[in-house]
Amino acid sequence: MIFQENATLQEKLAILSDAAKYDVACTSSGVQRKGKKGQIGNTEASGICHSFGADGRCISLLKILFTNECIYNCKYCINRCTNDVPRATFTPEEVCTLTMEFYRRNYIEGLFLSSGIVGSPDYTMELICKTLQDLRRIHRFNGYIHCKTIPGASPELVEEAGWYADRMSINLELPTEQGLQALAPNKSRKSILTPMRQIQNGVAQSRELLGMKGGNQSAYWYTQKRVGRALPGSQLRSAGDKLLSGEISQIAAHTQSDTNISYPEKSTIYQPASSAMTELTYGKQRDISRGFVPSGQSTQMIIGATGESDYEIMAVTEALYQKFDLKRVFFSAFINVNQDATLPALDGQPPLRREHRLYQADFLLRYYGFRADELLTAQRPFFNTYLDPKCDWALSHLEQFPVEINQADFDTLLRVPGIGTKSAYRIMAARRTGNLDYQALKAIGVVLKRAIYFITCNGRMMYPFLKIDEDYITRNLLENDRDVMKGFGEKVTYKQLTLFDDFGMAK
Amino acid sequence: MDKPIRIYQCEDSINGILSAIYEAGISGYGHRFIRIQPLVDGQAENMELFSEYISIETDSRKAEHVIEAVRSKISKQAYMYMMYALASCYADRGDAVYQFITYGFTMGNKVCSALQIPCVQRVFEIKRSVGNEVHFFREFLRFQEIQKTPSLLLAVIEPRHQIIPVLTEHFADRFMSEWFIIYDKTHREASFHNADGTWEVHVLTEEKAQKLEAYQEQREEYVDLWKIFFDNIAIAERTNAKLQNNMLPLHYRKHMTEFQ
Repeated sequence: MIFQENATLQEKLAILSDAAKYDVACTSSGVQRKGKKGQIGNTEASGICHSFGADGRCISLLKILFTNECIYNCKYCINRCTNDVPRATFTPEEVCTLTMEFYRRNYIEGLFLSSGIVGSPDYTMELICKTLQDLRRIHRFNGYIHCKTIPGASPELVEEAGWYADRMSINLELPTEQGLQALAPNKSRKSILTPMRQIQNGVAQSRELLGMKGGNQSAYWYTQKRVGRALPGSQLRSAGDKLLSGEISQIAAHTQSDTNISYPEKSTIYQPASSAMTELTYGKQRDISRGFVPSGQSTQMIIGATGESDYEIMAVTEALYQKFDLKRVFFSAFINVNQDATLPALDGQPPLRREHRLYQADFLLRYYGFRADELLTAQRPFFNTYLDPKCDWALSHLEQFPVEINQADFDTLLRVPGIGTKSAYRIMAARRTGNLDYQALKAIGVVLKRAIYFITCNGRMMYPFLKIDEDYITRNLLENDRDVMKGFGEKVTYKQLTLFDDFGMAK
Repeated sequence: MDKPIRIYQCEDSINGILSAIYEAGISGYGHRFIRIQPLVDGQAENMELFSEYISIETDSRKAEHVIEAVRSKISKQAYMYMMYALASCYADRGDAVYQFITYGFTMGNKVCSALQIPCVQRVFEIKRSVGNEVHFFREFLRFQEIQKTPSLLLAVIEPRHQIIPVLTEHFADRFMSEWFIIYDKTHREASFHNADGTWEVHVLTEEKAQKLEAYQEQREEYVDLWKIFFDNIAIAERTNAKLQNNMLPLHYRKHMTEFQ
């Protein structure tokens, strides 16, 4: 192992930002906090990206590891103990200075602090706590902080960090427990889900204590409330839930979708939300003005390192939102950095398209009121590579279309491809002052090239020759969207377009 | 009935356009026949035959009057739409805003979401474009420390619209007790923020502007650290220049530390 004992700050930053780049969640959203006198910084609920790297991913936070030394040996990780890579460790002071000076120059929105496991989980978590404490108390930093929960750290330390951080996250790493056992032998589902549950309870309690300032609800929560379903944290048990807890290792093709069936809680892997309630400890010495993890929790998992289907991944994702009240679940396309024999060899690029489809589906869960089993089933467990999940869903539910723009309710509008949440809100508001036509829809921001096959305005489709026919629409959508063909060559043609047949001219 | 179009010519500024709107509004000539034309550098771009031209002097009291009327008779939201639209660089903003508020006086706050109406569409579009630019500069504006004790920060931007006031509001809350200057090169104006939280906007003389620009040549250690971070955080296997260009248009990179 190469140790950089007397590394300069430049060298350390190079090593420890390089080591942190595989962490996905660089968001700075979820909490609105005004500036305070005598402190520096504020936060925006929407989050602010400050740059975009050569890979096109946003740079919002100073994303670094505290140290890349690690006692664990996770097969997919560049920092595993058996790898021969340069190692470095920051001091809390260095992290604070970098954060403050970058922040003042508007390079970043705050700090994202993760770490390899050095010594023990508790020792690592202590170092993180110390850094965050200095940043908040000595440097009077009021901006955004995202910190990682170290699996296996004691609850007291996790809570301590939670009072300083805006968001915490603990990586699920792999969608199933079997995958975790195979690739990350030092971690267990239990050591991941226990702190996740602790933070969930803490946030709920902080919300009770401080109202919205103590932590607002997630987009998923609001969506479930709007469509009238059970809110996150309820006792419903689904197949995804069992997959998450490790009771089952895959969703077999014959399993019926059982999202709405209630099972008794019997899992020993994690406790139900209510019974594991550990009280937050806050006394005079504790600054509770920001609340406990007010921006909530997120997690991430690696896609394509083990053999799960998209359906299983979505089921687990849904269970995480439902059971752990997470704000976001992130997916990271597997990159074989270690060339380990137990890992799949990738020919060419990491599975970016698959990752993209999962993110699209994730938004459908959180904002559009879709359920995982509407998008995929055990019989058809993978997303369509060529069409986005929403178009794909619409094409297999053509009986629900066309939708009349001037009459449909909000949730129906949201299910039309080409109409997003903003467009749907604007349509609802504009309808109060009169009917809308296609020109107005364009101004509103509806993506007409996708929407025209699925909508009518005042009873009329945009062009009289449009047909509600699966083949016809699919071909036209693919024709319009050159991007979907990217990386697949020109080999893919759906069906040759014939002028006379397709435009109803053959008589 | 057909009347000649009456064109109100005014100074190319927020108060100028508002003064013209005031005069046009009380003229009772008929909204359909009124145009508002801000004169860039005192010149009209196109003169029309058969139109009446009226030249309007800028009068801040008249401008105040329009603002007060919009706030009290329409809504705060409409006021926000109007001010964003007026801060833009589009030549038709006077017309769009004039029609927008005449609709507003009969419709009330609903006018802001009445996207069936062409002038509302236009104001909405302009407002969105200005709002987007403000957001881009919240993201991509970069400060540099041009003086150590007391610390003084300077940012140079080249926006299309006049966004200095909205932008400074954001940074004034964030850096409440910092001295900083945000300099808008396009409109040659700058906001000066003091450590006690107060700030003001000034139009700069040529000489002062050059003095500010000269500071940009300085280099500090955090620039190198930031570049190290920026280069290392990207994943080589995922390189995607097109995505980067979509998210961070080249136009904004001119004054960004990591691209210099």
